Amino acid sequence: MPGSRIALRSFDNRLVIGTFTYLDDFLKAIDMVKERGLDYKVYTPCPIPEVEKTSANFWSKVRIFTFTGATLGLISGFALAILTSLDWPLRTSAKEIVSIPGFVVVGYELTILLGGLFTLFGLFCLTCIPALMSPLGYKPEFSADKFGLVFKCTDEEARFFIEELRKCHADEVEVRDHF
Amino acid sequence: MAISSEINHSLESRVDYRLVDKLVLNTLKPPTVNWYILFVVILACLAVGVSCWTYQILNGIGSSGKSNPVNWGVYITTFVFWVGIAHSGTLISAVLYLFRAKFRMPIYRIAEAMTVFAVITAGLFPIIHLGRPWTFYWLLPYPNQMQLWPNFRSPLLWDVFAVSTYLTISSVFFFVGLLPDIATARDKAETKFRKFLYSVASLGWRGDAERWKHYTSAYLLFAAFATPLVVSVHSVVSWDFAVSVIPGWHATIFPPYFVAGAIFSGVAMVLTLLIPLRKAYNLEPLIRAEHFDAMSKLIIVTSCIVGYAYITEFYVAWWSNNKFERFQFYFRPTGELAVNFWIMFVCNVVFPQFLWIKRLRTHIPFLFILSIIINIGMWFERYNIILQSLYRDYIPSSWGHYNFSWVELGILLGSFGWFGMWMLLFIKFFPSVAITEIKEILPPPVRDPKNLKH
Repeated sequence: MPGSRIALRSFDNRLVIGTFTYLDDFLKAIDMVKERGLDYKVYTPCPIPEVEKTSANFWSKVRIFTFTGATLGLISGFALAILTSLDWPLRTSAKEIVSIPGFVVVGYELTILLGGLFTLFGLFCLTCIPALMSPLGYKPEFSADKFGLVFKCTDEEARFFIEELRKCHADEVEVRDHF
Repeated sequence: MAISSEINHSLESRVDYRLVDKLVLNTLKPPTVNWYILFVVILACLAVGVSCWTYQILNGIGSSGKSNPVNWGVYITTFVFWVGIAHSGTLISAVLYLFRAKFRMPIYRIAEAMTVFAVITAGLFPIIHLGRPWTFYWLLPYPNQMQLWPNFRSPLLWDVFAVSTYLTISSVFFFVGLLPDIATARDKAETKFRKFLYSVASLGWRGDAERWKHYTSAYLLFAAFATPLVVSVHSVVSWDFAVSVIPGWHATIFPPYFVAGAIFSGVAMVLTLLIPLRKAYNLEPLIRAEHFDAMSKLIIVTSCIVGYAYITEFYVAWWSNNKFERFQFYFRPTGELAVNFWIMFVCNVVFPQFLWIKRLRTHIPFLFILSIIINIGMWFERYNIILQSLYRDYIPSSWGHYNFSWVELGILLGSFGWFGMWMLLFIKFFPSVAITEIKEILPPPVRDPKNLKH
């Protein structure tokens, strides 16, 4: 996912954190950082389509987990009902031992159950949660009403970006040491 | 008081991100005296229920009013009632999400919480109903030394799969929806305990663009999975009756009739919960007249479907020319249990028609009273279906009677205590209105809208 992960350039020793109130300013700042080829991370209080287009324009793999789980659920639901009925062949109400219409319910429910659980597992894997540590540069106001732009750069670049982010009307630009 | 004048104000025009946080996180402040009083009352109800169940376990299932041929009584009625209540939570959270209905945003969290806690409550009743409740796990398909497997052709086993899948998926959907909101609560927590609680519960969630992308994809998939469950769970519950051959039960209309009834009662319960919550925590700017108006319309639609189903049952009984069916539907409104039928009919079909009056759709006290009336009516609907058919089936020599006992009533009261306890704890510890999704429908703050050329 290009453009979404902080680069591990060995000479980057500064972490720049820009905080914005307005979305248009924030988007301008993202464009500016992208143009200079730096990798960055953006924080928003909720999903915002404009930010998604610029910074997370990829196809989420979570649906692969979903498809795998749902398929497994469908197969295991029918397998459970059919194999256990054959293992204990008790005829009730003159119905077939393997009564497919009745077993559809079991297959259907397990499709949804495993599909849902695999989706949850996929979400955890792809978003790396549970996460014990707060990511570098994250601030509590990014979950409230501010937009956050975080990237790493060199000492020299940091001075340039402070000016550029201020031109983009950043509320606050913070530079932290990062080794 | 009528607040229909507020209808013209859209949510977007009055609320910003900061106000959403402030209003919702205000609900997490330390409990008030009123909260404690209500909690004690609810715990007292729960204590009554637990005592009655203990009495039943010690003295046997005969301490309930069940007997032959009426061996499904208050317990199965209450099971179906709570499963029905659970339903509309998923409808509001999942189905309306897929339809992008904006009015769901401020109400869906409380509806989802209601779903999860109602299913937990419902799940107790088949166990309470058992003569030997400690053997409930025999319903599950597990390898055992007797080499026995459950009968997968039985609708009672379908229930086990349907209700447990529903509980699991509803809980997952509920939890995933809560994650970013718990993270917001974590970032604003004022005490160490709350900070720790929310840090653990939020699983370290931080809303960066990449995570939001995966999150919204997963959420959509959860909604897609939960949507068929809205239809399937109560259909499966209805098959507990419809797959049998008892007059009044053996009808193909049961699945849609049950699903509509479930949505009807669930939306009413959402109103019962939402109205005091809105008042107690000053959530009027978020939960507004248009939301009550939309829910009232949903109540009218489902009430009409339910009313249509009641009438269809009578028509089909007459048209079928089956004397047992005909007798059953003659017995229901005129027999010795007719009062149950008429309570059901008046509460579910007659009273909701007042909502055709626009002013009443946003009249909060009226809606609150109506929601309680509907829930009484819906409990009686299930009681009516279960009881009347078992009372009078085919052979007069096998007809019987049923008088519910104080044990059953105590456990019914306890179920409200159990449900209420979870709801009150949830409201105090977690955001009961969705912060993130309300922010999503608000216009983001922009300095100059012309700059948004992306």
